[in-house]
This record gives sequence, structure tokens and C-alpha cells, in this order.
Amino acid sequence: MTAKLVKTEAVVEGRTEVRWTLVEEDDTPEFEDGAATRPIGEPTPRITARARTTGSARFTVDIALPGLLEAAVLRSPHANARVTSLDLDAARAVPGVRAVIGPGEGPENGDSPLSDTPGFAGAAIAAVAADSADAAEAALAALAPEYEVLGFVTGIDEAFEKHDFLVDPTEHERGDPDAALAAADITLEASYIAPAQLHNSLEPHAAVADWRDEGLVIWSSTQAIYDARATVAEAFGLDPERVRVICEFMGGGFGSKFGVGPQGILAAELSRRTRRPVRLVNSRREENITAGFRTPAKMDYTIGASADGRLQAVEASAVMGMGSGGWAFPVLEPVKSIYACPNVRLMVAPVRQNLGPSVAFRAPGVMEGTFGFEQALDELAEKVGIDPLDLRRLNHSEADPESGKPYSSKHLLECYDRAAELAGWAERDALRGDGRIRRGMGAASQYWWGGGGPPAYAEVRVGKAARPAITVGLQDLGTGTMTACAVIASERLGIPVDAITVYAGDTSRIGHGPFSGGSMTLASIAPAVRSAAHHVRTEILGLAAEMFEIAASDLTLEDGEIRSVDGTLRQPITEVTGKLGNAWISGSGSRGPNPEGMNVNTFGCQIAQVAVDTGTGRITVERIVAVHDIGRVVNPMGARSQVMGGILQGIGFTLMEERVVDPTTGTVVNAGLEDYKVPTIADLPEVVCEFVGDPDPHLKLGVKGLGEPPVIPTPGAIGNAVAHALGVRLREAPYTPRRVLEALGA
Amino acid sequence: MQVRLTINGQPHELDVAPHRALADVLRDDLALTGTKVACGEGTCGTCTVLLDGRPVLSCLTLAGACDGSELQTVEGSTPLLERLRAAFTAHDGFQCGFCTPGQLMSAAALLERTPSPSREEIRVAMAGNLCRCGAYEGIEQAVAAAAEGG
Amino acid sequence: MRTFGYVRPADAGEASARLRDGARAMGGGTDLIPQLDRGILPSDEVVDLRTLGLSGIEHSNGGVRIGATTPVAEVERDPGIGERFAGLRQAAAAVGSPQLREMGTVGGNLCQQVRCWYFRHPDLQCWLRGGETCYAQIGDHRKHGLEPGDCISVAPSDLSAALLALDARVETTARQMPLADLYRKATDDRRSTLTLEPGEFLTAVEVPRAPDASAYVIAGERAAWSFALVGVAAARFGDDVRMAAVGVSNLPRQIDPADPTRDLPGLDMTRWKRRLLETLASDAGAAVGR
Repeated sequence: MTAKLVKTEAVVEGRTEVRWTLVEEDDTPEFEDGAATRPIGEPTPRITARARTTGSARFTVDIALPGLLEAAVLRSPHANARVTSLDLDAARAVPGVRAVIGPGEGPENGDSPLSDTPGFAGAAIAAVAADSADAAEAALAALAPEYEVLGFVTGIDEAFEKHDFLVDPTEHERGDPDAALAAADITLEASYIAPAQLHNSLEPHAAVADWRDEGLVIWSSTQAIYDARATVAEAFGLDPERVRVICEFMGGGFGSKFGVGPQGILAAELSRRTRRPVRLVNSRREENITAGFRTPAKMDYTIGASADGRLQAVEASAVMGMGSGGWAFPVLEPVKSIYACPNVRLMVAPVRQNLGPSVAFRAPGVMEGTFGFEQALDELAEKVGIDPLDLRRLNHSEADPESGKPYSSKHLLECYDRAAELAGWAERDALRGDGRIRRGMGAASQYWWGGGGPPAYAEVRVGKAARPAITVGLQDLGTGTMTACAVIASERLGIPVDAITVYAGDTSRIGHGPFSGGSMTLASIAPAVRSAAHHVRTEILGLAAEMFEIAASDLTLEDGEIRSVDGTLRQPITEVTGKLGNAWISGSGSRGPNPEGMNVNTFGCQIAQVAVDTGTGRITVERIVAVHDIGRVVNPMGARSQVMGGILQGIGFTLMEERVVDPTTGTVVNAGLEDYKVPTIADLPEVVCEFVGDPDPHLKLGVKGLGEPPVIPTPGAIGNAVAHALGVRLREAPYTPRRVLEALGA
Repeated sequence: MQVRLTINGQPHELDVAPHRALADVLRDDLALTGTKVACGEGTCGTCTVLLDGRPVLSCLTLAGACDGSELQTVEGSTPLLERLRAAFTAHDGFQCGFCTPGQLMSAAALLERTPSPSREEIRVAMAGNLCRCGAYEGIEQAVAAAAEGG
Repeated sequence: MRTFGYVRPADAGEASARLRDGARAMGGGTDLIPQLDRGILPSDEVVDLRTLGLSGIEHSNGGVRIGATTPVAEVERDPGIGERFAGLRQAAAAVGSPQLREMGTVGGNLCQQVRCWYFRHPDLQCWLRGGETCYAQIGDHRKHGLEPGDCISVAPSDLSAALLALDARVETTARQMPLADLYRKATDDRRSTLTLEPGEFLTAVEVPRAPDASAYVIAGERAAWSFALVGVAAARFGDDVRMAAVGVSNLPRQIDPADPTRDLPGLDMTRWKRRLLETLASDAGAAVGR
């Protein structure tokens, strides 16, 4: 197979990355219209189900090696401080303690995760490794830190007034928004506030490092084994090939687990010093004060429109509370990219606070930005006197409004129509009622990327028993990527999914696979798996052609059999593979570049129906209709689960989730799951979920991503539904009983 | 202190420090890592095990207080657990699977006591088991399917 | 830091002696263990009261007697309680999560510490924990009480509201008294909302007579597994409707069905709870036929 280096572009959560990648020739034929694709497109249970339901699935926190040491981290109780005293020797003297490292210590080439000027409550100061968790905790106590407490800033407004920006503020303009706003028939100003949502993956951030003479092995709960490898290798000055990163199963990440994290760096350093395996696992509190959050944002919109509701100009600004880290998540992207609007000005101010770092959280920026902008649009619809969905249809854009480039596919209008039909949108006013319980229905659009891209490599092997093994260099954070890989290979090989094994989560097995994020994973790996499986298929058919003396082009693989097109031959595939002995037929595949000159995006519409108890302020989401355009659906069962998960996290964001920072001490007061509420099974609404749109004609296999899309429109749709129910608009999420009752005058 | 326990039908005799949580003893001393710990403070239900048939949080249960008890964890195998496993698989009652052991234990406790629960009873019984991936619909359907007449 | 001894006392006398020496009483441990983990009111020893035979529910003479270490879930499941003390059953069902109800005991529920997020903060020592400052008053008290005071945290026990409305009495190792007398406001000298003396612990709670109707309604932050933002219990004996609320004051509090928010003005961030209290009092009243 010939391989070549090509230059390709991929959009990662709104940031365009240009990469050189090694790409193999891919001669896999696309499906013809109407051709059978099974099991692609059929609901398939997870291939990992047995492991996950018997407790045999090994997560990073479960890794126990002989001689394992437990690590723990001393963290600042103050929002800003200078450590004036720290007794490292006392900690070293605690029985069972094997290593203690203090501020500034760490890997040779990397920044130390430990500091004697902790800039937030939770910042790491020292780390210990000991024979037991109890001994490690005793060592932390023995450190007896003393602090000079310094002033701090945690409020967004205060940080903005100080012009203390973590990332330089940006301004983006197209057209002439000032003139267009001045000339608009209708203008509207609207403000929304999004809370800091905490990821709370149930598996905490964790690493187990084992420094051996031959190199470093590190188990990491990571969404990106290859990024993790690169970080560790660079920090410790090791060749990447001498670092092996393993992530067999991971318990959720939602954006918070890219790379190896400070857990990995600290565990590796402690293992390097002790030459013993070291495990470091965050407590729930550490998760919630150090491991990231969705950036809270204050968003202001000024919208100018024609009398009939056509957008003329939007000026939008956002102040984002970044804490002590993160990148400027694209919070105003919805303004720029969903609708046809010739004049736009966007201003983003990412401010620094004495809080932990912000970290990408499922559709970072875009979800909270959609929450604000889609509600502002409903306010416009009301002012214009037009149905909110009609306003969206009126401002539909056939091409990317920013660049003018066409989309590889876009079925957003179909999403509106189908969602409206499924939700009973036309009769929505009849829902409302005038008693204590008010009902309402609201809609929001969804825009996201999700085209994926190279590099992504896959290998498929089939041996004697015709039980294929797929190897991919990715990790499955729980979305079902491994199952989807099996489904794709199954179609080419004609071998049932339950006979297929997928090996993933290990950098020692195969080259780079995509990270699990950006709704890019499956769109990236799917064509590579298909290509690899196709190569194996071709080889099996070639051998069968010789064996049965029928032209390979007249043979096919189905249901574990080699069949001739004319129906005269039906033999088990093992008739061919059985001759392999201990050899196997293998094929490799790689992801080719994305189409040039066009944008690859996903779209959708959700409609929420809510009931608001005006006596208690409790909002119940009764029903969500979710219609998304994600290209080809590989596994409808997994896809529906992704949608359910997005919707539930969206409900959490809108109704109950909010990090609360004490203004007096600058510490988080609800860093546990008692006071930081996430939805329970009792909060589950009825969900009607459909996918529209054919496979994307410009992408191999036509697959776009689905991780982010379902969370994006949920908050805006609920917000619009609540406003429809109450006739009052709530400006700040989450919409807790307190905020609802206060909005109603309590 | 000395503790005698039956775990998934097997008798065990353990020497544990009195402050240690059952979850840690299961995971670290007995290598029964199927039981997961997600919060360690009794808020999420992930570490749920069955102690004499009752769903309890093993992170807040002192191992020393379990002397003479019968314990069931996700590693066990009973006809009911197998039925639940099949139903969770068929209804996609999980995504990452980290909460799944606890979900299975709570579901088993419910169905032992209430063989044919209503939807409302399922929601009440499962409300202490958080699933951040949001697999609740599948969980609800799976429990209903594993019930008598389901 | 978490290291402590665990004792199964031979009898109430041994338990009392150990408690007097600074041990902490444990029922289900659901409140105690997280406190010890976070260094809240630390102790070197816990005394497990569940081995003293204090568990059980007895119905007699129209009333009911519930042992202090009876799991909350048993109260929820007891048919007699469901039939004659619906409000108590509803309050038991409102407690925490299913697992917390299986583990948690009636006595532990009545004696649990406040859920205030400053009291529970591992890095702060608030006034109630013996410190100088009620951080809630100067900080974020959106979920706190409706009346000013040294401590503005709210009583959390759902059972206490239901039992208060039912005119329950409690028994301790030293005395019998109305449930209301179990609680008092913490003072500078005594930073506890309980009147229990050193070595004293609850042994039972008794409801002397069944009401004609009773109910407990709760508003939480989500559909299930939420401590009450406000919880209101009502019990009707003939024409007399008695009500009690949690989530509004430092102590479980009797309220006037005709004027539930009397003397509860609300603080800066909690005035919204007045509306909630009015709604729930009205709902609870309606549920008992007021």
C-alpha cells in the first residue's frame, strides 16, 4: 500500500488546525444509493457491555500493580497566597512515605505542577507518595504549611474592571454593523448570564505511572492517549516511543481529560524518584476545584433587524470567566455562523480569576453562547410578531455566512420542520394555561463542527477462526466508539459484530488515533476502519476466488459466509481462513483529508416543553424533541444515547448546575455532589429523537460527529420554553426555584 | 480488627483498620475493583453494594461494622443479576460504565423487594445513583425489562 | 484526617461513658463519616449505637414508637405508619437517596448536623464549628434561613418536621421530652443545636396518637435526592391543624397555618423562600383537609 504525506485542515472546536499527515491510498468503494449497509445503521449493543456489567472493565483507578504507592497532593485552602513555611522533611519522616516533592519540583523539561504561590484555592503545593493512602494523608498533615494570605479576584465583573485578561480580548467584524444597526427597523438589546458548569465525570482524573528502566508506562484516564504521550515524553525528556500510555476504559471526561493532566506528571515524577508504581486519583472535591469548568459568561447582544425579521446586524460581547487557564472558547460563534446576517461585530474578553483553570466542556463556548443568542432571537421574534421558528427559517443561510463557502451538507430546514411536527409546535399556545402550573414550548438551533479529519489509523486482522480484531489508536471515553468501529468493519467483512474484538487505548499497539472530543472521533476513525476492513475483505475474496474458482468480483461476504452473487456458493468464511494456521490476514487503513473549499458542520433543532410551578419555582422539563443532522448514523442505539446524555447535561446546566464561589474567601462552597446538583433519573424527560439527512456526500462513509450537538440547543430551547410559559424571561442560568420565584416577584 | 464476611457467597476473614471504608477494603484488599468510588462522601451511589440485601454506600460503610454480614457486589452472579446485565446491554443502560456496578446493585435491591415495579417506583429506587453520561432512559427501560413480566 | 477507633458497645452504659469521653455517636454513619473525613468536629472514636437493640417499630394504643436506630427506610416501608401517619411516611421517603435511607437511622436523622456549605467546608471553621465567623451571613446564603441569628443555617431533618407536627416525644438515655425540646439555638458557649448532654443519646421517638390526617411536602433543587429547600409537615387532629417546617430556620419550627411566614422576614438572599414556604404550607394544609 502506498502512503504519502499530505497537508490537511481540520476544525477542532472552532479552531482550524493545519496538519501534515501520512495517508494511505483508500480504494474503498462508497455505498451505492439504496445498497444494504447492515449492520451500519442498525441498533447494536455495546461490545464492551459484558465487561461493564460484571465489574471486569478496568478503569485507571482500578490499576493495582505490585508495590503500588498511593500519592496525594497538598492544596492551598486560600484563593491567593504565598507559602511561608513547609516542612518537607517532616513529611518524609512519616512512616511509609517514599517520596515528597515540593514547590517547583517536577520533571526536568516541564513546568512543575507545584507552586509556593498558589493562585487559587486548590492549587497544588506539594505531593507525596506512600505505601498507603493513610500514610500519604499523614504526610500531607506533617507538611504543616503556613501561608501569607494575599488579595484575590473571583468575580467576573471585578476582573473585567481590572482589565486582567487571561487571553487577549478579541474583536471580529464583518460588514458595517454600526451603520446597519442605525438603519435597522427594529433593534433589540438582550443580556444573558451562563453559569460555571462542573464536569463531574464519575471517574475522577487519575493516573498510575510505572517508571521502568525500559521506559515509562502510564495508565491515564484520558480522552487523548497520544496527546498524553507527547506531554509526558516532552516533560521528562523521553523519546515518545519510550512512553506507553494506556487507557483501557474511562469513566467519562466531557472535555476535561485531554492530555495526561497534573496527575500524570506528578505520578510519573514520583515513580521516577521511587522506582515504584504510583497511583494518583483526584477526590471529588479536587475534581470540582481543580479539574476544570465550563466558563461562565456574561453575554450582551444588540440585534438590528428589518420590520419582517431579517437580521441586519448583530453586535455581541462576552466576558468569560476563565479562572487561571483555558482558551477563549467560541462563545459568540453562534452569532457569527448560524444565520445569514451581513453585519456582525463580536467582542470577547476572557478574564483571569483566582480560580482553577477553565477546561473545555462538551461544546465549549457554543452551548452557553447558543443559550444566550437563541433566546435573544426569540425576543426578536416576539418584537417582530413572528413565529420563532419562522424567524429562524427566514434567516437561514445556505452557505457559511462568514466565508461564503458551501457546506458539505446542511439539512437544518428539515430539522425545523420535523421537530415542529414531532413537538406539536403549531398548538403550542394551547399548552400554557393560567393556573399555578404554566406550560410552554421553545426551540433552539444547533450549529457545530464535527467533520473530523486525519490522522487516524486502523488495522484489521482476521485469523483462523474468522474472529476479527480491530486495532485503533484511540480511547473510548464511554461514547461507544469501539462498538461503532466493530459495526463498520462488520459490514465489510460479513462477520457479525459479536465476533469482533476491538483493541484501543494503548499507544504501543498502533499509530495515532483521534482524541475523543470535538465530535470528531468517529468521523475521523470510521473511514480508516472501513478501509482496513475492505483490504482484508479483498484479500479473503481473492483467496476464495482461487479456492472455489469463481471470480472475486462475483463473490461477497455475508453472515459469516462466502457467497457467490448467483447463489450457487455458500461456504463459511472459515473455509478460507481455516487454512491460515497461526498467520492472519491483515489490512491497514488511514483517514484521508477533508474536502477542500467547503465547511463540514452538523446542525439540528431541539424543541423543549416545560411545566413551571409558579408556587414553588420548580421547572420540569416534560419533553424534548431533538432532530439533528449528523450525516450517516452508524449505530442508532449509541447515537440515541449520545443525544440523551447531551440533553441531560443541558437540563443540568439550565435548571440546577452552578459552581458557587464564596465572595469572602474565594473558595468554592459546593465542590461536592450534594450541593452541586446534577440531574438524577427522576429528572429524565420524555425524549423524541430523530436524525435527518443522508450520509454527507463529501465525506468518506458520510459520517459526521454527534458528541457535542445534542447538548448545544437544550438550554436555549428550555429558556425559550420557560419564557413562553411565564411571559417573563430569566436572564441567568441555572433557573433554580429561587431565580424563578424572584423573577415572579417573590 | 477482625471481620468475617460472606462476599458473593464466599466466606472471608479480614483484618482491617477500624476507620477503613468497606469500598476501600473491597477494592484494595480483596481486588474486587468492580465496585467503584466516585465521590467518597455518600452523594452519588456509585459504590452501592448489597449488605444483607440492602443497597448501601460502601464508601460510608465501615468495614469493621460489617462483621457477620452477607455482601453482594457486581462481581457476583445471580439469576437476577444476569437478567439485569442482559437488560442493561439490550437497552444501552450505560455509556462509560463507571456508575453501572452501583446501578445494577440498586436495581437488584429494588427487584428483590418489588418484582414488578411501576415506572415511578423505578425512578424513586434509582434516584440515588447518578449517571453523568445520562443513560437514565436506558437504565429505566432495563430495570423494567428485567422485572417480572417485563 | 481520618483515623479513628470503632466501638460496638456492650450496653448503653458503655456507650454513654465513651461518648462522655469524646467519642461520637454513630447510627448509619451517613452524616458522621463525611464529617470525620473533612475534619468537622473530629474525634478519635465512633460508637456504633446499632448494636444496642434500639431498632424497631411498635404500634400500640393508637400511637407508634420507633427505636432510634431504626433505618429511615423501615419507617418508609412500615404499613402501619403508611396507613395512619402518612406525613411521617412521606417525610421518610423524602430523606436523601434510597441508599441513605437504608443506612441512615431515625435518631441520626433527627440529630444530624446542618447541611450549610460553610459548616461542611473542609478549609473553613465557621462559628457553629467553634470559629469566629458565620461565613454565610457575609457570603452566599441563597439556601439559608429566613431569620437573622448567630448562625443562619437551616434545620435539615425532614423527619423532625413531620414528627413535630405529630406532637412526637423523644426518649433519651436520661429522660423523655417533647421533640421540640431536643433542639435549641446554638449559643456562644454551646455551639450545638441539640440539647443532648455529654453521654446522652436518643433511644426512641414516640408519637402518642394518630392524627386524622397528616402530610409532608418538600421542595428540592431537583426532582429527587435533594435536601429540602423548604419542607412543611401538617397534621390535623379534629379541627386543629399543626404545622412544622424545616429549611427556614436554625431549628425545625412550628408554623402557624394561617400565617406561615410570621417572624420569618427573610435575609438578603433568602426572601424568595417566603413564597416557597407559603406555597408548601398551603399544599400541606390542603393535603390534610384544612
